[in-house]
Amino acid sequence: MVAVPSALPFTRIVGLEAARQALLLLVVNPALAGAAIAAKAGSGKSTLVRALAALLPADSPFVELPLNITEDRLIGGLDWEATLVKGVPVVEPGVLARAHGGILYVDNANRLDATITATLAEVLSSGVVRVEREGLSTVQPARFVLIATYDPDEGDLPITLLDRLGLLVPLAEEGDANVRAEVVRRHIYPDGEADETAILRGLIQAAHERLPQVHISDDQMTALMQTALALGVEGNRADVFAVEAAVASAALAGRDAVDDADLRLAVQFVLLPRATQSPADAQPSTPQLPMAPHPSSADAGPHDSPTAGERPLQELLLAAVQTVLPPHLLDLPFAERRRGRRGSRGQTLNARRGRFVRAVMGDPHTDHIALLPTLMAAAPWQRLRQPQGTTRIQVRRDDLRMKRYRDKAGTLYIFVVDASGSMAINRMREAKGAALRLLQDAYVHRDQVALIAFRGQNAQVLLPPSQSVERARRELDILPTGGGTPLASALLTAWQLAQQARQRGVANITLVLMTDGRANVGLQAPAGDRQRLRDEVQRLATRLRADAIHALVLDTQVNYLSRSEAAQLAQWLGGRYVYLPNARAEQIAQALATASVSS
Amino acid sequence: MSYPRPTSHPYPFTAIVGQEEMKLCLLLNVVDPRIGGVMIMGHRGTGKSTAVRALAEVLPKITRLAGDPFNRAPADVPPQDPLLALVGITERPQQAEKIPVPVVDLPLGATEDRVCGTIDIEAALTMGIKRFQPGLLAQANRGFLYIDEVNLLEDHLVDLLLDVAASGWNVVEREGISVRHPARFVLVGSGNPEEGELRPQLLDRFGLHARILTITDIGQRIEIVRRRRAYDADPAAFTRQWQPQQRALQRQIVAAQKRLPQVTLPDEVLLFAAELCMVLNVDGHRGELTLARAACALAALDARTQATIDDVCRVAVPALRHRLRRDPLETTDAGDKVMQALTDLLARHNHRPLEAVSALTPT
Repeated sequence: MVAVPSALPFTRIVGLEAARQALLLLVVNPALAGAAIAAKAGSGKSTLVRALAALLPADSPFVELPLNITEDRLIGGLDWEATLVKGVPVVEPGVLARAHGGILYVDNANRLDATITATLAEVLSSGVVRVEREGLSTVQPARFVLIATYDPDEGDLPITLLDRLGLLVPLAEEGDANVRAEVVRRHIYPDGEADETAILRGLIQAAHERLPQVHISDDQMTALMQTALALGVEGNRADVFAVEAAVASAALAGRDAVDDADLRLAVQFVLLPRATQSPADAQPSTPQLPMAPHPSSADAGPHDSPTAGERPLQELLLAAVQTVLPPHLLDLPFAERRRGRRGSRGQTLNARRGRFVRAVMGDPHTDHIALLPTLMAAAPWQRLRQPQGTTRIQVRRDDLRMKRYRDKAGTLYIFVVDASGSMAINRMREAKGAALRLLQDAYVHRDQVALIAFRGQNAQVLLPPSQSVERARRELDILPTGGGTPLASALLTAWQLAQQARQRGVANITLVLMTDGRANVGLQAPAGDRQRLRDEVQRLATRLRADAIHALVLDTQVNYLSRSEAAQLAQWLGGRYVYLPNARAEQIAQALATASVSS
Repeated sequence: MSYPRPTSHPYPFTAIVGQEEMKLCLLLNVVDPRIGGVMIMGHRGTGKSTAVRALAEVLPKITRLAGDPFNRAPADVPPQDPLLALVGITERPQQAEKIPVPVVDLPLGATEDRVCGTIDIEAALTMGIKRFQPGLLAQANRGFLYIDEVNLLEDHLVDLLLDVAASGWNVVEREGISVRHPARFVLVGSGNPEEGELRPQLLDRFGLHARILTITDIGQRIEIVRRRRAYDADPAAFTRQWQPQQRALQRQIVAAQKRLPQVTLPDEVLLFAAELCMVLNVDGHRGELTLARAACALAALDARTQATIDDVCRVAVPALRHRLRRDPLETTDAGDKVMQALTDLLARHNHRPLEAVSALTPT
């Protein structure tokens, strides 16, 4: 899997300036652990990364990680052929061990499987691969830098991975026409650049050797960390990365001391992409819980606090940062995640469908047998099982391996329908129609539907989560209507249903609320107290949002002018708002379809 | 590019800056493994794994029968030991050896057979005989088993680990071999709450639940970076520099372990713990039990032979925060709720206020 040297040298690839700069910092200072580069398909990101291989010393491996890699190929495992021939277990190193001392490259890294990502993250921080599989137990060195490229249009990298990579290069703005022309020109005339590559290789080597001498002052470190605080960067790993990036930048420029330009670069590649708040609305962060200090906390190290003289540098840095703030700062993955809208919850390992990822011991009556792993599991025992020298392969129950698949789990749609008031009969009928319509497609998507109606004093689960069309039809036959509007009770019931579903492994949950949003019966709030009724609803809605439960609010308020309450509710839920005063089943289904696409 | 070589010097436990709750929880389990392990939840990059992996270095060594793959003390191995025979050791060794307390790291992607142990492939291939190859659970006996990112581990594996941790025995039936070996260990899990909440049944089975946050104090953050870089530059020199602190902590642990059996829990302290659990509506009795054990372990660490109400207060948050019923109307963090209940209760008992208790520095 060692890459064929790219036809185009690193120095000749136009565009992707930020990515090029980040890659240079990374090869100068492997303590940065890795780089994630967001770029559109066809922007030349993979060409650039592959060209980097030519700048490495000859003995440094450049290994590409294919997306469809299985766990055993990644981590390593038993080399069955060699094991059977030699009669002793022979380890076949996985991709991670083969990248030791060099670069591991993944293109389209956002499509990596969750367990593969987690393993990558683990190895990046420990520097070793531990193989504990199939009777093998070994530790192999695996220190490498990871370069991940991806097209953000196809989804972001998982945070677990982003967090371990020092340098993050967000999507660059489109280059101007001159740059584009130059790209084409250089592709057409790629020659005559051999010595540029040689020079750059020398520069990298020199910078790498200078690294230990580069000095960064306490003021400069303070400035970086205050910037991190102002941007709401989570965890302390980013601090180390920021300092390493500044040091690498100085080394690359041939300096022995970090200067302001180095700090700016560190902020740009390390801190800014990890921002969870914009520096303007920075507020005092959550303080540490006062906890019992443990008996030996009398640390030897000095805890000098910043002095007054350090402020200006930090302000300078933040000011400089403001000019390069990406326009959609809070759309970056770290901030998105902070808002509770993303999770690795959409995927589950199961025994029936999806992509085959691993074989495990299991029950042949309920699962699918994985033939090859079963035969491989049986192979070593053949001598033991057939002392007489028969040649038939003997497979026993212990050898049986079952397939485990990974797929997108289905969605649970919880219909929460306002059954109070006079328009309720119509609303309920259409909600029922939409629920049934969804269920008819459910087999394909493995979706489930539940229905909660609320009226009078509280909410009631009319249909628990179900995939059965028949059952839904039967349970929804009786639809009580009329009375007060206990909205808070409805939200609470929906939340409880969602919690139960999560525990059963249903990850994606969408709430479909059909109401005018006007509560008049509370959980604890007295009937007339509008403010407290409102507070209850807001708190529950915020909780639903924090638990990453999607929402769609269908406003059934007939009076167009007084429809603000359902819109407000949608905002609290962080969900979509659709005004459908006389909702028809088809319209509901359609609103759901568009909501799922946009979420 | 040149990389630092994998080092045999893990980052020193005493050099970890801040994160006192996590460190305390780990040490309490060291003093009394019956506390039942700890789950550490917190932000990425806050040193969870570093702390657990650093633990082995400060723990006093244990004595085992030389070469015993199950780490048993010599007195626990009979002359005709079936387990030794199963792993192919025909004669029981006479001598004992000192080994570091095992801290076994369960990698993601470990297969069940390696966790529990299985038939020795090499023996089967080369000699055609059945032998047991002990797994990670055997290696972890009398030590710690660490699972990073618990939320990513397959459910059945987590259940299996919790069962073994609770019973102290691992049972394997395979290829006609039947093995039952001791596997007493402290289970330490870590995870990030944003990767998905853990099943409540799972949470409840960990004795303590530590939460850690990003350190916001600039001085501490600079110290973290400085120590980290010094360590990366020269692990051997860095660990040498921290030797005195490491030794001091180790002495403290040894003394605490020795003192623990003598630590008493006065009735009024036990009543206070029970009252706290009642106020907080904690189901079952695991709450009181954990509170009591953790308070005694803390007293032992503190070189005292009597647990006090202060001790209960200092361990209450990690001992109880995962045992409260989850109420969606409640916006306050479970830990804050425990602290609020403590504050009220202390006032009712005319005890010194919580701030004064938290500020107590142990002798």
